[in-house]
Amino acid sequence: MFKLNLKIAWRNLWKNKGYTFINILGLSIGMASCILIFIFIRYQLSFDEGFKNEDRIYRVISGWTTPDNFFESAGTPRPLPAAMRNDFKQQFDKVAAIQAGGGIIKVKDESGKERIKTSESVHYAEPDFFEILSFKWLEGNPRQSLSQPNTVVLSDEMADKLFGDWHKAVGKSINFQNKVDLKVTGIIEKSPDNSSFPLKVIISYKTYLNQARPESTNWGTVSSTSECYVLLKEGASIEDASKSLPQFITKYYQRDNVSKESHRFQQLRDIHYNADLGNFANKVMPKKELYGLAIIGAFLLLTACINFINLATAQAVSRGKEVGVRKVMGSLRRQLIVQFLTETLTITVVSLLVGCVLTEVALPGMQSLFKDHISFSIIEHPIIFVFMVVLVLLVSFLAGFYPAMVMSGYSPALAIKNKITANTAGLSLRKILVVVQFAITIILIIGTLVVLRQMSYMREKPLGFIPTAVALVDVPYDSMAITRYHTLQDQINKIPGVLSTSYCSAAPSSDFNNESNFRYNGTVRSTFQANTKTGDENYFKTFGLEIIAGKGLSKSDTLKDIVVNETMLKKLNVVNYNDAIGKTIRINDKTGNIIGVVKDFNNMSLHEPISPIVINSNKESYNTIAVKLDSKSILPAMRAIEKTWNTVLPEYVYGSTFMDDKISEYYQTEKIMGALFKVFAGVIIFISFIGLFGLISFVATQRTREVAIRKVLGASTLELVKMLNGSFLLMVFLANLVAWPLAYLFVAKWLATFTYRIDLNIWPFVFAMIISMVITLITVSIRSYKAAVANTIDALKYE
Amino acid sequence: MIQLNNIEKYYANKGIKNYVLRLVTTTIKQGEFVSIMGPSGAGKSTLLNIIGMLEEPTYGSYEFLGEDVTSLNERKRIELYRNHIGFVFQAYHLIDEMTVYENIEAPLLYKKVGSSERASRIADLLDRFNIVAKKDLFPNQLSGGQQQLVGIARALAAQPSIILADEPTGNLQSAQAEEIMTLFKKLNQEDGITIIQVTHSEKNAQYGNRILHIADGVVKEDVAVG
Repeated sequence: MFKLNLKIAWRNLWKNKGYTFINILGLSIGMASCILIFIFIRYQLSFDEGFKNEDRIYRVISGWTTPDNFFESAGTPRPLPAAMRNDFKQQFDKVAAIQAGGGIIKVKDESGKERIKTSESVHYAEPDFFEILSFKWLEGNPRQSLSQPNTVVLSDEMADKLFGDWHKAVGKSINFQNKVDLKVTGIIEKSPDNSSFPLKVIISYKTYLNQARPESTNWGTVSSTSECYVLLKEGASIEDASKSLPQFITKYYQRDNVSKESHRFQQLRDIHYNADLGNFANKVMPKKELYGLAIIGAFLLLTACINFINLATAQAVSRGKEVGVRKVMGSLRRQLIVQFLTETLTITVVSLLVGCVLTEVALPGMQSLFKDHISFSIIEHPIIFVFMVVLVLLVSFLAGFYPAMVMSGYSPALAIKNKITANTAGLSLRKILVVVQFAITIILIIGTLVVLRQMSYMREKPLGFIPTAVALVDVPYDSMAITRYHTLQDQINKIPGVLSTSYCSAAPSSDFNNESNFRYNGTVRSTFQANTKTGDENYFKTFGLEIIAGKGLSKSDTLKDIVVNETMLKKLNVVNYNDAIGKTIRINDKTGNIIGVVKDFNNMSLHEPISPIVINSNKESYNTIAVKLDSKSILPAMRAIEKTWNTVLPEYVYGSTFMDDKISEYYQTEKIMGALFKVFAGVIIFISFIGLFGLISFVATQRTREVAIRKVLGASTLELVKMLNGSFLLMVFLANLVAWPLAYLFVAKWLATFTYRIDLNIWPFVFAMIISMVITLITVSIRSYKAAVANTIDALKYE
Repeated sequence: MIQLNNIEKYYANKGIKNYVLRLVTTTIKQGEFVSIMGPSGAGKSTLLNIIGMLEEPTYGSYEFLGEDVTSLNERKRIELYRNHIGFVFQAYHLIDEMTVYENIEAPLLYKKVGSSERASRIADLLDRFNIVAKKDLFPNQLSGGQQQLVGIARALAAQPSIILADEPTGNLQSAQAEEIMTLFKKLNQEDGITIIQVTHSEKNAQYGNRILHIADGVVKEDVAVG
């Protein structure tokens, strides 16, 4: 029976090739989108999976509560791990510190000649770290390999890179930061792409402590690069451990009145999804965004299913006779439902196959958008296959069940007499579905328009400085390098195409921010913190910052002059900026005089408001030389800068970025969102309109006789087209009315995440309406015109 | 076999009852060949539909094989379709997507007849109606008469005890019509199948052995033929 059903289904689909094509096209695009979204979500959810005891692994998070703020960091004070190991013996099996860093690694060959010089990120880890997180050790073991100072463990990939073959690496040594020689004592397997722990070079923690850093005993400084992981004892609860934290904090922290420290434990499986805290891999994907994608996927699928339902119920009338005949031959209603569902299943399976091809085609695009290797291999991830099976069943059921119910419910007496007409209930349901479908489409159109406008607003908004054609070239900041700063700047200034250069700690807008307490004009400590930036006398010229009172910094290697921004003075309630000139500011235990006020500039992404800013010179803190270039000679100038840099600082590794790129990095998420919106809006518009085309075709066919009679009675072609189009335009108009308030809610909520945003006006809404109405009119008119000019006699001769 | 008592059928429209059938009482015995005749709109088809359980009477009782079937649930009704009743239609109503062979096979599949039994019955029917060569053709590749032959073969496949035919020759030319009617007569006489047909043609009615004349929903005459 099933085989016969399948055969009949196939013949039926072949007979109605046009509609089958529309259905398959819509469904396959919808399904391909769903598959892409699924494999992306699957990849994201696979992060940090498979560690032994993963449920018992936690990261220690630090938090600070200030009078007007609360913020958190994934970092902990450096003495914390040791203290916690001591104080939480009851609750934790293991506590381990890991410190991220970076530096220059050099490898010499047997003759002592430098063979490889490369800048790499490194991690200093305690042996216990590897007993908490179970990495695969190819050679050595954590106890032996990392318990001594000056030892290093490499990933097999890194060892291959440095020594040609990781099998030969153990026992050899590498030079780190021109300072220490580290002995390779172990090899671990490279972390997969979906890991928050991209460990390549792991240096023993004792090496880190040996470098005699003052901060390693300081509870007051926290860097997000020093993390602490704990392994909960079996049977112990993390809530109990958390209860001991207040006591722990009182014991170790010195109270001060500005901020209050706190700690909490973050589950291993949360690390990848928490955008505020970040991780070593710099790959985060908030779960909220994954849900958003899943919803878009569901919408796409729904739209495609609605197409199917509409076309199937419209087609149902022509199947009425068959239903009647089958019923009097002894078919149960259930058997008919099974038969119709088989047909839907056939279409869905074909669509899935086409969808898989489309997925394969779209995959490289998605991989480059997310800069991640996302696999579409059923063999590697059988769950994808399970998903596709579920998808097929779900779609078949969703799309097929209602039409099957309608068709199988026909009364045989009426069906046989060809007296079945598109019943009004079915028609109104179809109308509701079309409205729903178009409402979804219009919401996406409006969303896309708003996202794109906000993006271009962000691109074009004056930031208060000029980020174009500014190269940010890294400079090393150890004492040896600092002595050569002057030479480097002089030589770079001589390169043709270089307009000006400035040493600085951070560009005006940067995600590297220092916040400090300060005293203004000798008064008590301020109630807010100032964002500090350091730069030399050319800082303002290089970045195109505008001084609106007083003057810029003069040449100095240490803190002497200070320039503040407008926000700073506003927060200090200084109305006349000139009043502030000459006043003192004490910050970081040094005092300077305000000599100028700089016009406000956006110092972070446009999500954030402008901070109060203090700019001064401090040679010790520089790590970048900013180079303003003539935009016509960027390429040759950059080549010359690299060459000069390498001759002045041959021991180090050159690195540079452009200010523009840095700024566009802030909006990576928005850029991806914009791209996704564009693609999905396009897909959904396409699906909706082919559905509409299918529907109008049916209506036109169904009303052929009516059209012919009206023509005989003297209706003009235009009147007929109008008659056929009317209800569709009305439906799309209604869909607009439904979509507007919903779209307003969505976009208003999204825009609220930006401090600097476009004013939401009526235009995107009106524009979406015009787009939808015009496309509807075109789609529908093509078909209805054909119906209106069809030969009258043919239509009337029939029956 | 069929016992109709005071069957009434009307459609209420704004409180006015439009009668299609009024107090129809008749008995049809096993082995009869009955023709229902009458002018257009007399209620012939409605009567046939009620006999075929495609429509329910508004009033009255109907016994089929001694069982009251006035209002029957779907499962029971379909049991009767599978085992006792074969339908033949004026417009043949073959399923367009199925070949001749498959059309004849369909009721057997619903009746869950085993595959070898199925094959032999179909072969037998194809042979009997001389359409073996056509078994792989689709309905639209056949002439009207041939399609009706397939329709009858399909109705006979489940070996029903009664055939209900609504103007089986209405769409056919006279030569083909004669062929069909001869076939009906043969089925009635040789196989003992009860046949009830609706027809306009006096000539066709003569093939049967009883004629019910209906006008305005009332049985005017019940005459035996031959």
